[in-house]
Amino acid sequence: MLEAAAVLDSACKSFGALPAVVDLALSVVPGEVYGLLGPNAAGKTTALRMLAGLLQPSSGRALLLGLDAASLQAKARMGFLSGSTGLYARLTPRETLQYFGRIHALSEVDLRRRIATLARWLDLEDILDRRCESLSSGEKQRVSLARAVLHDPPVLILDEPTSGLDVLASRSLRDFVGSERARGKAVLFSTHYLAEAELLCDRIGLLFRGRLLREGTPASIRAECGATTLEEAFLKLVDSD
Amino acid sequence: MDLARRLSHVLLTLGKELRECLRDRRTLAVMILFPLVVYPLLSLLVAQVAVSRDKTRQERPSLVAVTGTGGARDDLAARIRDRPKLFTLVGGGSRADVAAGRLDGLVHFGQARRAEIVYDAGREESREAAERLSDVIASALPEGCAPLFSFEKRSVAPEAGLGGYLLSKALPLLVVLMVLLGAFYPAIDVTAGERERGTLETILSSPIRRFDLLLGKVLAVTVLAALTGLLNLASMSLTLIQVMRLADPGSTLPVPWTRAAAAAGMVLPSAFLFASVFVAVGALARGFKEAQHLLTPVYFLSIAPAIVGAIGEYRLAGLAAWIPCLNVTLLARELLLGHTPWSGALAALASTVTCGCAALAVAAHIYSSERFVDPGPRGRSLDTGRTVGIPKPPTAGQALFLYALAFVLLYFVWLPLQRRNLVLGLLVSEWGGLFGLVVLFALFTRQSLPEVLRIGRPPPRCLAGAALVGLSAWAAVAILSEWLSPVPKEVIEQLRRSLIPSDGSRSLLGTLALVALTPAICEEALFRGPILRGLRTRASPAAAVVLTGLLFGVFHVELSRILPTALLGVLLSLVALESGSIVPAMLAHFLNNASLVGLATFRIDERVAGFGTIASALIFVAAALLTALGLLLVHSGDRHARL
Repeated sequence: MLEAAAVLDSACKSFGALPAVVDLALSVVPGEVYGLLGPNAAGKTTALRMLAGLLQPSSGRALLLGLDAASLQAKARMGFLSGSTGLYARLTPRETLQYFGRIHALSEVDLRRRIATLARWLDLEDILDRRCESLSSGEKQRVSLARAVLHDPPVLILDEPTSGLDVLASRSLRDFVGSERARGKAVLFSTHYLAEAELLCDRIGLLFRGRLLREGTPASIRAECGATTLEEAFLKLVDSD
Repeated sequence: MDLARRLSHVLLTLGKELRECLRDRRTLAVMILFPLVVYPLLSLLVAQVAVSRDKTRQERPSLVAVTGTGGARDDLAARIRDRPKLFTLVGGGSRADVAAGRLDGLVHFGQARRAEIVYDAGREESREAAERLSDVIASALPEGCAPLFSFEKRSVAPEAGLGGYLLSKALPLLVVLMVLLGAFYPAIDVTAGERERGTLETILSSPIRRFDLLLGKVLAVTVLAALTGLLNLASMSLTLIQVMRLADPGSTLPVPWTRAAAAAGMVLPSAFLFASVFVAVGALARGFKEAQHLLTPVYFLSIAPAIVGAIGEYRLAGLAAWIPCLNVTLLARELLLGHTPWSGALAALASTVTCGCAALAVAAHIYSSERFVDPGPRGRSLDTGRTVGIPKPPTAGQALFLYALAFVLLYFVWLPLQRRNLVLGLLVSEWGGLFGLVVLFALFTRQSLPEVLRIGRPPPRCLAGAALVGLSAWAAVAILSEWLSPVPKEVIEQLRRSLIPSDGSRSLLGTLALVALTPAICEEALFRGPILRGLRTRASPAAAVVLTGLLFGVFHVELSRILPTALLGVLLSLVALESGSIVPAMLAHFLNNASLVGLATFRIDERVAGFGTIASALIFVAAALLTALGLLLVHSGDRHARL
């Protein structure tokens, strides 16, 4: 059995008296896309922020490849992208990628090669030297994705990455995630588009009010709830909670 | 589309935009309340510094000599001797003595009925001496009579000295203003701008230490602020030279470039200080606009000491050398004048860099907190551990609004009233302007007055502690203030006269009711009531206590009294916060003021003033220990009741 690449171990997170995530346990193995699903304010972003090392769990643990998620070593092995991720407006995509590549201590040769490869994969070649402020939403998200995978991390954390994207851009992003899975990456993916999760995820966790309601493959959850779609299954689970 | 319809669209948009802007309380505060508070405060500051400067000048006699021969010389010397407050006449002297600063002025009676007043135009004291000598000479001549001698003023200042003097009038303040301006927007851009653009999470999830990230940002703002400062200074100097050339093609402004470069050297440390402070404050903001609102008061607070340094007659020595911003203007001025007080210069540099490092440490603390990643929605306050059933405290915004309103009323209404009738003015301003404001606040927020004030029954230990603080803190505070920044004797005398009328028209009890009981109730009601509790919702206990103390100090509107009243305010805030009730703070305030009334009535303070340094130090230590013991007693009271 593969060792888990990303683990939340009985993780709780509260803001003041307000619990955002309660006793959450999940793990993602290499070559797997795990979808964290739930409505707004379910605790998805908080859970992903704990794994991205941005927040410390109030109790429990957040681990990446066995390392504390907040450590620099863990961050060096992880790529993080969210739907609200922005870019430095007055820098070009090439300058942005160079900045992050140097933070990740890539050599200049590797950095040039990697930027060229990603520009080809993500169709960035024509926009590499334009200022980010002049890019469209789809172009910006492709640049952000390139930034997140620039150092070829074994773990990808994507927080509602398709939010605000059109159908084509969403499709392109999903394809990219699929190809990363094929390369053995562990991908933790949050969304509130249940249909999208059904298309992409190997396993899903349904989060509601900070708690994990169910976890399994989309088919097993549908079957367990006697539902034809994931949306129907989710509504049944929420009603019974 | 017809004109009427287009006009209606314009008006509709105007109405909607105004409604939206005016519903933003921060916009309102910056637009209306802030100017109403800042300008009175600045005017008070400038007026008091100017008065103190003129007084210092008047009190210092000019050191002068009269040389030459003849009856006119003896006559002038006699007239000078008759004015001992204005002059100290020495037996002899020369131009070299004036140039070297050993004499402020010299009158030399020469041949052919010619006489000259020798002075150094590059020194303020020497200019003053020349003015005084001119006045004496003019007053000696009966009206309508022609003078026997033709007098001529002659400066011995080297050209560079004069240029340095002229530049010292404007350049030091400009150093601070331009660097502040240069740091303002870059600091917002690298902090709140980063958050608003959505790049903060990206960089924080990268393998870079937060302190390294912060340091990079602070250094970037430092470089930009320093460049802005230097470019502005260079441009202004060149423009000034050009203006003088255009006005009079023959004239040149003798710029002492080495001195100017040395003064401009202060740009870098002050840029570091302002960059650290602004980045620390900017890191608290959720967005660009909020950062502007937070930084604007900091900007004005930084300007105030720089203005004091620029217009006052302070020397770069003692406490002045350690006060940030003030010391920058003083050091720049001294360098331009060609004086280099090394101990003062080192103190100014050390203070500026230390304060910059302290601000950097605060910024690092903010950067490492989770609040930095997620400051939460507007209005979310710190969890102060309150339990269910305890009424909701005022917000920090409400606290500052109440303070601003009280200050505006004090400045524009109550102070003029107090000048006309002290007793009536004091009573109305305390009960109406402070206590009345708290009552109105309670009415508007639909809370009972005891809820707003947190009037609880404190344990006896808290009351004993508060009494000890009230009976001892005044001595510690007074001695400390005397060491750091002595209150002028005239201010003390004026206070004494207003507190205890010499005609005996008010009894001791009446005085106690007016200046001890009334402030203890009314000032505590506002400051240790909604203001302290409101600030506590957004700041740590220590920050809330210090801030409330500072606001309390500034509220006393006398520059020389800000330090002692602010220190007292800090202690009273500690008492209120630790006891969880306003009553012990009221008791401490009453006993503090009553002690001062007792001292003034029986003129004990005059006897104490004659004590030596060692006796003062012993009294200070004893008073400080008693105050600490009092605070300890308050602290050991009911922990659950804390505000």
